[in-house]
Amino acid sequence: MTDEDPRDIDCRQALDRLYEYIDKELTPVRSDEVRAHLEKCAPCLALSKFEDSYVRFVEARARIQCAPDALKKRILEQLMFETGEHQAS
Amino acid sequence: MVATEADRRRFEEEALPHLDTVYRVALRLSGNETQAEDLAQETMLKAFRSWHQYRPGTNVRAWLLTILRHTFINEYRKAKRTGTEVDVTHIEPFTVFEHVQDPDPEGTFFSQLVDEDILHAIDRLPDEFRETLVLSDVEGLPYAEIAKVTEVPVGTVKSRLFRARQALQKELYDYAVEMGYIKEQKEESE
Repeated sequence: MTDEDPRDIDCRQALDRLYEYIDKELTPVRSDEVRAHLEKCAPCLALSKFEDSYVRFVEARARIQCAPDALKKRILEQLMFETGEHQAS
Repeated sequence: MVATEADRRRFEEEALPHLDTVYRVALRLSGNETQAEDLAQETMLKAFRSWHQYRPGTNVRAWLLTILRHTFINEYRKAKRTGTEVDVTHIEPFTVFEHVQDPDPEGTFFSQLVDEDILHAIDRLPDEFRETLVLSDVEGLPYAEIAKVTEVPVGTVKSRLFRARQALQKELYDYAVEMGYIKEQKEESE
């Protein structure tokens, strides 16, 4: 590269920060540095896209379970019992 | 301190909406539904009994998850989980991508895995890595909040999350290869 900016980061630095970048945990300046690197570096961009879709995939798939209605009902009854609004039958 | 009806109403409005999160995390920590229900119920009851200690405006989700975690460690962890654990100590970063970048750069093979495969693989991560991954990737907590709940520095959250994600990815990839969802790429002889 001839037009090297002193703020340019290399592949290793970009990959070190990749998950923080994906998770939006970087400061705007550091995030911009990663984005600038990805725009210039096709292999890192491809990896970044893969990791991003992997993280979203886990999130979408592992969040399917919800608290059972019976559990919620038990808790509500217990709370009312605690306040004396509900007497044990 | 005796809780009043007004306390109960406020608790129902502010804390109870997080029951799904509490239950899901309980499920991943304990590894079975019966224990998860007990753990979630106990967490909510403890939280309600110390509701007067909760400072309004602070993070109620992190507060509940902290109570959950302490309850689990103190009362439930004794019942040791069974099964083999995923190795997170010898993880080569980004190797799955290196294997799939030619045949499947989008990682579409993931979509062939069913939900139970993913949950099962998460459950096989060692405790502290599973906990971090679940709080981050399943429940979407920011690093700072995970650090607070798990009582470690943010740097530890980052490194655990990195290793947990890479280990889980490797686990899912190996499973997908085994099931024939993706063809294993032989080591390149360049």
